[in-house]
Amino acid sequence: MKDVYNAPEMQRVVAMREMQPYNHPTRAMYLGAPGKVGYLRLGFELDSDGKSILRDHERIAPLIVQQELYCDEAMPEMPVVYILSSGGPNVDGDRYEQEIEMRRNSIGHVTTGAATKIAEMKDNFSALYQKITLEEGSYLEFIPEATIPCRNARYITYTDIICHPTATLFYSELFMCGRKHRDNEIFQYDILSVTCNARRHDGQRLFREKFIIEPKNYPLRNLGLMGRFDMYANVIVLTPPEKAEEIYKATEVGFFDNGKIGVGLTRLPNNAGLLYKVVGMETQPVKTRIREFCSTVRQAVKGKPILPDFPWR
Amino acid sequence: MRASIISTMRLLEMSDSQFPVGNFSFSNGLETASYEKIVHDADTLRQYVEAASIQSAFSDGIASIHAYRAVDDNNYQEVLHADEEVILCKMNDEARQMVLRMGKKMAELIVHITDCPMMEQFLKDINAGVTAGTYPIAQAIAMHHAGISEEDMFTSQQFGVINMILGAALRCVRVSHYDTQKIAYEMAQRIADDYQTVKDSDYEDMRAFVPGMDIMASLHEKGNMRMFMN
Repeated sequence: MKDVYNAPEMQRVVAMREMQPYNHPTRAMYLGAPGKVGYLRLGFELDSDGKSILRDHERIAPLIVQQELYCDEAMPEMPVVYILSSGGPNVDGDRYEQEIEMRRNSIGHVTTGAATKIAEMKDNFSALYQKITLEEGSYLEFIPEATIPCRNARYITYTDIICHPTATLFYSELFMCGRKHRDNEIFQYDILSVTCNARRHDGQRLFREKFIIEPKNYPLRNLGLMGRFDMYANVIVLTPPEKAEEIYKATEVGFFDNGKIGVGLTRLPNNAGLLYKVVGMETQPVKTRIREFCSTVRQAVKGKPILPDFPWR
Repeated sequence: MRASIISTMRLLEMSDSQFPVGNFSFSNGLETASYEKIVHDADTLRQYVEAASIQSAFSDGIASIHAYRAVDDNNYQEVLHADEEVILCKMNDEARQMVLRMGKKMAELIVHITDCPMMEQFLKDINAGVTAGTYPIAQAIAMHHAGISEEDMFTSQQFGVINMILGAALRCVRVSHYDTQKIAYEMAQRIADDYQTVKDSDYEDMRAFVPGMDIMASLHEKGNMRMFMN
């Protein structure tokens, strides 16, 4: 069983400079205690009939995963996997690690069953390390539900991506301002640190995107930052250059819905793919934009669209 | 006293918007922000300038400080490492093109006006495709060679970003010279504060969070407005 808490990747994340003001022992359950350290590894590959399946997985609660479902009507051959956390919201001192391996020509869609709530914190912080590996010709849509950082929350995520030049990854993250419609909790968290580091299998580095949001120390309402918007989505698409160009041309950018939503798109360094950003006032319109963009990507890469989301999602 | 006058003179020369590296040709997305009426007066312009300054300080600023110290140690490989970090962390395509064009111009200009062996090597490596050749790193090599201090280099870089936007604003936003100079004057404190943080930062600390500016830049990238370059 993997020792997530002491793994070098997690130690590196925990040692990040911006988290040190919060790196204190917890007064409740101790750091590294059972239930505060979750691990999940998913391995997708083609079976002998050429069907993409979740071939193997490992898990340490509170991270759990259901059996793969083939519930995407537009792409019924694609396994859909829901990641769940039996522990409820992330609390101080939680350490999670997720690994996803997309083996040669496999396809998959990974999401979460509900939003990830980062609970109010007094000591320490919550950390997530992810590693996503895509082999030749593989295709992964990673579209978790929103992250909700509550009052005084501290959260760091660090994602390593190793991507073959022929593979495609759609990787989205949606960050809410807090529990907006409960006590008007808007940007009252302490810190959100998000890093995504991509490279090829031979070690060639592609890009490293990092952003830190500290609402209490930062002019977040500055129009060059969040301005009047409360929700922020960041979508990374790694795909071959000809596909990236097709997606780039097919995607509209600008301000829509009477200025209630803003959309941006640019090309990543080293011809790695595209970076798509959405800001909005509410979660649902931002999710809809992410889904529409994913549909454009799927259409370009797999020749199929994404159907509208289930009404209960 | 004599050395101080020489280094100050060179600092002013390299910080001047007329220094021919292309500073005057870019707007850092302001052209779109103005067209969309997001930046329309002195207050909104001040916010835009502040966002650009923060972005620059915590990304290019950190890399160039590392490059400056590497030049001081005569460690050229570390200079190339800093150059790579600038490109890896420059997520916006238009901004990436800007630092590459200005970096090469800076290298060509310095090689022409003075005898700087490290810049000669840097220019050779840019032309050979060994390194990208970004502006913040070319500035670090040039300013170290000119006897300009690390702090003054950082100040000059931040002044360059601010001055680029304010210069563009005079051509596309309804603001006066009085407004733009007031903004520049007031930004000095922010730059001084940011230097205290970035001088002890590492490559892992390089970051940018300016979604508003990113959306403006992508509109410019896909749009037809071309008073300023992309």
